[in-house]
Amino acid sequence: MPIASAAKIALIGSPNSGKSLLFNRLTGLNQKVANFPGITVDIASGQSLDDSSIQYLDFPGVYSLQAISGEEKVAVEAFTQALEENLLDTVICVVDSTRLEKGLIFALQVLETCHNYNKPMLIAANMVDVLDQHSMQFDPQGLAETLKIPVLPISARTGLGLSELPGAIATANVPPQKFESDIIASDESINHLHAQQLAEQHGPKGDLLINTQTRLDSFFLHSWFGGLSFFVIMYLLFQSIFSWAAPVMDAVEAGIGWLASIVLPVIPVGVATDFASDAIFGGIGAFLVFVPQIFVLTLVVGILEDSGYLARAAVICHKPLRFFGLTGKSFIPMLSGVACAIPGIYAARTVESTRKRWLTYLAIPLMPCSARLPVYTLIIAAFIPANKALGGLLGWQGLAMFSIYLLGIVCALLVTAIVSRSSAELRTDLPFVLEMPPYRLPSWKPLVRNAWNRCKHFVTKAGKVIFMVTVIIWILGYFPNYGESLGDSWLGTMGQWIEPVFEPIGLDWRYGVAILSSFLAREVFVGTLGTMFGIEGAQEDFSSLAQQIQDSGLPLGSGAALLVFFAIALQCVSTLAVLQRETGSWRLPVQLFISYSIFAYIAALSVFNLVELFS
Amino acid sequence: MTLWDLTQGASAKVSSFKSNIQSGYRTRLSELGFHPGEHISCVLSPSLGAPKLYRVNNTVYSLDDSIASLIEVA
Repeated sequence: MPIASAAKIALIGSPNSGKSLLFNRLTGLNQKVANFPGITVDIASGQSLDDSSIQYLDFPGVYSLQAISGEEKVAVEAFTQALEENLLDTVICVVDSTRLEKGLIFALQVLETCHNYNKPMLIAANMVDVLDQHSMQFDPQGLAETLKIPVLPISARTGLGLSELPGAIATANVPPQKFESDIIASDESINHLHAQQLAEQHGPKGDLLINTQTRLDSFFLHSWFGGLSFFVIMYLLFQSIFSWAAPVMDAVEAGIGWLASIVLPVIPVGVATDFASDAIFGGIGAFLVFVPQIFVLTLVVGILEDSGYLARAAVICHKPLRFFGLTGKSFIPMLSGVACAIPGIYAARTVESTRKRWLTYLAIPLMPCSARLPVYTLIIAAFIPANKALGGLLGWQGLAMFSIYLLGIVCALLVTAIVSRSSAELRTDLPFVLEMPPYRLPSWKPLVRNAWNRCKHFVTKAGKVIFMVTVIIWILGYFPNYGESLGDSWLGTMGQWIEPVFEPIGLDWRYGVAILSSFLAREVFVGTLGTMFGIEGAQEDFSSLAQQIQDSGLPLGSGAALLVFFAIALQCVSTLAVLQRETGSWRLPVQLFISYSIFAYIAALSVFNLVELFS
Repeated sequence: MTLWDLTQGASAKVSSFKSNIQSGYRTRLSELGFHPGEHISCVLSPSLGAPKLYRVNNTVYSLDDSIASLIEVA
């Protein structure tokens, strides 16, 4: 049955109610973003796996229908607007049955709203599997009788009770009674009192869950053990992006190389082969290589989130990051950014506050990603002597590498500290009241599915932009002399045009061409510069190119300026494309590209003059 | 005495909110259970000024000093 004629069922609930897990379970991979006219937030939509006549809509999780921040207002308005315009057939309010009182405070607000809009609703009391594990029970029937709407006990994790959902949807009714006062508009304590009475009457009894949780919290937030476990977990996360993804990344590259070796001989020699070899296979390879990292990081962050540890990590990091305008949840995206900005930007989805997420986006591109490493290695090899100081304990090259890495991190924190203080809007945000979700074993299937969807999103959405830019840069570097000489190409000409820009930092047009081409990916700088100096395979062997740079008489100040420029400039089309996809507009990526380019240039110019003054 | 002053293992009842609290914050805290008359216990007070963990009914929340010091307890 076409989705347009399907019954539209809204899922609404607080964060940590398991609403999105339920949505994933009900719809599988069959998801897309719902297109509701006038509604500005992403509402995931998916056809039911079991019943094609049902379309589920996953509304953003909110703690209350009384929004206190801009982003909450948008989410609440999306729900009420959908009710107003009669876009929904039934509302399912998802509550966590292990914390019934909290869930009911929200459910009572939804009940009142559905009553006002004459909309059928039911309550899905999630996580009953956890209650079963601890031999705890609650009384859904009694609750249903009191509220006069269906209450279905379910487990989104195990699938318990989900087969009864279509039946419950069919019997859902408009909440018949209006409470004696308007709950949403009235004093919140009345709402709370109702929820408290209902939870006491029908909710599970016992402190078992909280006691287990507190014991684990005492360990994970302990001064020593907590710090140590945080370090070990973050190290494993970092390793997962760097080491675990590496063999798959190599396999992706080898696979593309193998495919090219089969396809290219069939194509007639000339422009077509060069285009297929460099733009098609090179271009596809340039973004497909990120897929394993995105998959691994999404999976690992998902495990941390699902297990409940992410909230504890946010508590550990909150205080130091708050000073810089960030939140504890910004730490993992920023750490991921040290490996690669792209999975880091995707990981920033865990930052609930839009403003903090926006600030995290500002920080990630400044984190010293691995693509900068070849550039740093080349410049350091060309300018910094390999000898050691302090009896061999300290290598100057190592110290230079450490300093430039540190510079990126310092710049990231400085930028967020300044930007967060510069606007009153950014200073005021949701208070830090973070619910500590219970510890639980992650549910694998939805996590793998989510990681897969994230990769699909990257390839189909951001991949298009990356591929397009790759083709444009290939055309500029190939024509008009058909790839004979990069220096005489349109890109070379552009490098010569912009020579006056880089001249004040002692760089000639060849560096300009290399910087222009490195917009594809920073490491391209090394290969392009190698081509400009007539050295093949400079990416693999830095030493001869470093020697050439030394012999060319490039001043030390220019080397230092190049390091600083690459530490700050947003020379990465993939990062910009992913930022555009995640923010839904080109505004932030364009603003960041321009401002970081100016910042990088001014910093490079200052460093050049400073070094030249003292050397 | 504010909620932030509550030591690990101690509990108290919310008496009021500081007058300078934003009304939106007061509403949200009340919805989460931090409303006058409610019994709150500090289940964990991590070192180095990290946000503390408070139990309200069957839920544990982490609050930092900026918000916990706006809730008066007795």
